[in-house]
This record gives sequence, C-alpha cells and structure tokens, in this order.
Amino acid sequence: MSTTCNGVWTDVSGAEALILSEGFSTKQEEDYGYDLFPERNKSKYKKGSITESLFTFNHKCQVMLQYAIDTSKSRISAIQVFKDRHFACEDCDGTVSGGFDAASSQIVLCQNNIHQQSHMNRVVTHELIHAFDHCRAHVDWFKNYRHLACSEIRAANLSGDCSFSNELSRFHFGLKKHHQECVRGRALRSILAVRKISREEAEKIVDEVFDSCFNDHAPFGRIPHSKKDAKFAYRHYESRDRYNANI
Amino acid sequence: MEQSRILPWRPPRVCEDYWSEFRHCKSLLNKFHHYYTYGESPSCQQWSQDYKNCKQWESHKDLKAKEDLQQSERTRVAEQQQFTPVWKLRKEPPKDWHLPLNQEKSQEF
Repeated sequence: MSTTCNGVWTDVSGAEALILSEGFSTKQEEDYGYDLFPERNKSKYKKGSITESLFTFNHKCQVMLQYAIDTSKSRISAIQVFKDRHFACEDCDGTVSGGFDAASSQIVLCQNNIHQQSHMNRVVTHELIHAFDHCRAHVDWFKNYRHLACSEIRAANLSGDCSFSNELSRFHFGLKKHHQECVRGRALRSILAVRKISREEAEKIVDEVFDSCFNDHAPFGRIPHSKKDAKFAYRHYESRDRYNANI
Repeated sequence: MEQSRILPWRPPRVCEDYWSEFRHCKSLLNKFHHYYTYGESPSCQQWSQDYKNCKQWESHKDLKAKEDLQQSERTRVAEQQQFTPVWKLRKEPPKDWHLPLNQEKSQEF
C-alpha cells in the first residue's frame, strides 16, 4: 500500500492542544504530558455500553468529529487518515482540548473539553498538522525540543488558532504582526505544558526555530486565514501534477 | 507517475486561476490578514502579470510569455522553500502508521 503525506486540508481553525511523545514510566508520563490524558494508559481499547455510546460526551465527540471531517472544506486525503484508526475521543484532565500521540499515531480529542463544533474543527486541524509532521518527517517528539517547538509553531500558525477573531475572544488585542506574536506565545505555552523546562529555555528554543518553522506552510503553500485561502490551496493541490509538469 | 510521452506545454495553472488569485490578493479581507500577519500590504501585481502572460500564451503562443510565467512560478516555489528545515524528511510514512492499534505497543503501563 502506498501512502504519502502530502495533503492534509482543513478549514481555518485552532485550539489549545498538546503534543505527546513516547514515554513509559510514571515520571516520564508526567514529563511528557501523558498525565493529562489518563485514558491513554488504561484499557484503552475497551468498548463501552450502549448507554455510554449514546448519551455521553463520547458520543457527542464522535458526532462532532464526523461532522468536522465530512462537512467543512476539510479533505483528509493523501495522508490517509482514517477516523476510526487515527482519532480517539477521550476524557482529559484540565482544559486541554486534544493531543497527538506519536506512539500510536493517533489524534486524541478531549470529549469533556470540546463542546462546540467550531472548537472541534479547530482541534482537528491543529492535531492534523502534528500528524502530518509525524508522517512526513523524522520528528523526535521525545528528545528534541526544537522539533516539538517547530510543530507547535506550525500548528498554531496554520490551524487558525491565532486568527484575529480567536485572539479577540481571548481579549488579546493586537493588529500589526500580532499573528506572529500569538503563534510564538501559543507554541511556548504548548511546550511548557508537556515538558519540564524553564520558560527561558523554552523561549530560546522557540526563537531559534521560529523563522524556519513559521515560513514552512506545508502542505498548504500559504497560511490559510480564510475559507477562500483553504479553497485555493486545495485547488492548487488538486492540480499539482499539471503544475509540476509545466513549471 | 510514469510519463510515456511528452505532453505539449501548457501553463502551470488554468489562466482563470491566476485572475482569481489576483482578485483574492487585492481583496480587503486578504489585505487585512496580510497586515495582521506581516505588518504590511500584500504585493499582488505578479498574479496580474501571470494572468496576462497566460492569456498571451493561449492566444499567441508567445514564447516570452511562457518563459516569464515559468520563471514567476519557480520564484514562487523558491519563496516557499526559503528556510532550512529543522528536521529530516522521511522517504515514506512511518511503518506503524496503519498498523491496527492493538498490535503496536507491547508496553504495559
């Protein structure tokens, strides 16, 4: 079976989300953010009762996820992400909205913290960018903080997490180049939430990789601020064969 | 993808795509987003020029127009690659990407 990683398409959206990595001891679970996702550890593949499946946050999460995949301008195409294999709705601690579990190549959606469709869209987008990075590059989520920072910068940049309206809703008022400030800030927060390093160290790492990662717009070729950006980016992706053959 | 024969050259994009990109670039919303991201107005002229060259090729098979168009697109691609990647790209997806979940981790927490 041939698979590629080019072509993760989603609407503009964003979320607070974390990136997990491989970690096995309890201390390492805390060190790498797994303690925020308690269901990742225990009997994670058990099936629930009918009641659980119909009347719980889990059901609502599944429904919203399906909607996010089907109805937005999302195209989960050549990355070959399958809903049942690569997505999981679980309860999480704190206010985290989702995460990417590199150990199982799975996107975790926090069913107890995502209650609106627009929020679901944002989290899915954000995590798909992590999944895309994991798929197309040798990302060392576990040991290389630069890699972690880079993926967080890209996810905050490209998912719409830092859109003007989302920032306004957080009472962050800024206009000129504020997008970059937001991306920096959210990447920093994401790193600090899952890794035990100092703020200064995290800031230094984000600064080191910012220029490179902020300008890496794969697979979109642009920062999709609006539905039209997303539409044009997808249009370009669909005609990539013609483009590459005639350039 | 194998190409067993050389197809005649045609513009990398449909001509109307250049025009719609130009109009989108000039739109108020895009200007706003660009200012919000980069602190300046976007430069849209190249899309318009590309559209003219595209139409010029279509109607007159103008070689200069073809070359200018190709050069413009190559510049666009180069601009998207103007950074040193932080990581090494894979040649194919991770081997466990599609493995069923229960087979992956032998670890017990």
